[in-house]
Amino acid sequence: MSLPAVPATAPPPEPPRAAPPRPPRRFWRSAAIALVMAWLMVWAFSGVQVNLEELIRGTPEMAETLGRMLPPDFTRVTDPAVYDRPPELSVPELLLPVPLELDKANAKAYWWQNTFPQTIIGATLQTIQMALAGTVLALLVAFPVAFLGARNTSPHPVVYHVVKFFTNFFRTIPDFAAALVLVAAIGLGPFAGTLALAFHTATVLIKLFAEAIEGIDEGVVEALKATGARYMQVLSFAVVPQVMPAFISFLLYRFETNIRAAAVLGMIGAGGIGFLMVSDFRMFQYPQASMTVVVLIVLVMGVDYLSSQLRKMVT
Amino acid sequence: MSSPTPVSLKALEPLLAIEGLHKAYGDGPRILSDVSMRFKRGEFVVILGLSGAGKSTFLRCLNRLIEPTEGRIMVPSELVTGGNGEMDVARMSDRQLRRWRRKVGMIFQQFNLVKRLSVFDNVLSGSLGYQALLPSVARWFPGVDRARALANLERVGLLEQAYQRADTLSGGQQQRVAIARALMQRPAVILADEPVASLDPKLSVVILDILKRVAQEDGITVLVSLHVLELARRYADRVIGFQGGRVVFDGRPDELTDAAIERIYRRDDEDAPVPV
Repeated sequence: MSLPAVPATAPPPEPPRAAPPRPPRRFWRSAAIALVMAWLMVWAFSGVQVNLEELIRGTPEMAETLGRMLPPDFTRVTDPAVYDRPPELSVPELLLPVPLELDKANAKAYWWQNTFPQTIIGATLQTIQMALAGTVLALLVAFPVAFLGARNTSPHPVVYHVVKFFTNFFRTIPDFAAALVLVAAIGLGPFAGTLALAFHTATVLIKLFAEAIEGIDEGVVEALKATGARYMQVLSFAVVPQVMPAFISFLLYRFETNIRAAAVLGMIGAGGIGFLMVSDFRMFQYPQASMTVVVLIVLVMGVDYLSSQLRKMVT
Repeated sequence: MSSPTPVSLKALEPLLAIEGLHKAYGDGPRILSDVSMRFKRGEFVVILGLSGAGKSTFLRCLNRLIEPTEGRIMVPSELVTGGNGEMDVARMSDRQLRRWRRKVGMIFQQFNLVKRLSVFDNVLSGSLGYQALLPSVARWFPGVDRARALANLERVGLLEQAYQRADTLSGGQQQRVAIARALMQRPAVILADEPVASLDPKLSVVILDILKRVAQEDGITVLVSLHVLELARRYADRVIGFQGGRVVFDGRPDELTDAAIERIYRRDDEDAPVPV
């Protein structure tokens, strides 16, 4: 490439300018940060007792366990015998809401409450029920409280700070811990798990909802106040329509999370699919346990897909 | 409702009497300084001034979206509690203030419609101050008001778009919906804060034409802030000039001499009062 010819009337050389500001030197600060981070890593890994030798020795055993789990025992889902239908009831009588004599009705109730939840399909449905009921209970609490806990819609700063403090405080309690307490208090079963999910989800939803409320366009609020509308009317017209898509999206997201959480809660006896998985593993029923895992994977993937499709619809 | 009312005796009555209005935040500079003036029923007043001159603050003090620091805003009691006499907006209780706000329509530069609701629901929201609480919170409105909402949409030429979502409309159309919303209040006054600043000149004329027409038809006093001199000359019955939080001009548009314009658009921050 040839350089363009220098024009005959070249501009005079610029007068020397003051030296440009030099970038600040931060060597010692960077070194100190790196040192602290390195020390943190060493501290963390020494604490968890990393042991490569054991990992290598355990690998064949892991493969063996996995081998014993495969193939999953599909008959646990497909074999009618698993469902242990009471002989006096026909399949339609069992599944459909038809009028029955007293003893048949009792047998039917007993099957639905005790036999069916012990099967993989029954336990899975129970897990979904727990997640759904827990999320809805949380919504009923979080929806009104979020308006009290958002800076711009709270009726009074004191209310705002009180709501904020308590939701932050209770949110630190993991749903697993809440479930342990509730199982001890009200006994084994899905109700304790559902309440634990509802409790934790409510604290999370209040925070997410309140943040959405704080992000609205205040101009619309001003416009409606200017018409002489009252507080509840302003909420209904100016605030709720603006936050609706975010609320629905958060709600679906928490439902997804609660499906997973409900599955885990089963392991401490709070109902659902987790309980089956733990007891199968404990009794070394590996193909059955892996079937439970397969159903759980399908469930979680299905719910994730559904909720992401729904979320696309609301934006 | 839409029959053009001839100028009646009422049209000459005073509607707003503002005395010694001040606004400052804490110890900060005065945003409004000793503003006193009267407005008659049915006047179309254009408020001119640079940004920061105090136009927005002045308009918002009149319905107390901003609390005035000092001063009185006297309005006829019949618009608020009924009966004769006058009331001071600055001293109204919350309940009285809401009743006053019902009579004061407001139009904004950014339209401030609820984007995700229909045009129809947006117009209806103008009647919220008159509605029973529970049904209206559930977005239910009496048939009479729904009919009025459609009538008001027709007046601004948007009946066809009634059931579209508000955010599908153009800016000019959204501002017309905002006018229909204000009309639902059966207002005695409309405060329009830079209603055409976000619109191109052609649409500005459309919006101001509509505003002027409905105000004449219903005998509404309109205070509209603008920064375009030409529009002020074209529409105003009366022009008020703000500069540095003070009124520096108050007169007919044909009295806007070069000297007066100079006073309004002066860029200094001197506090020296300019005699009018």
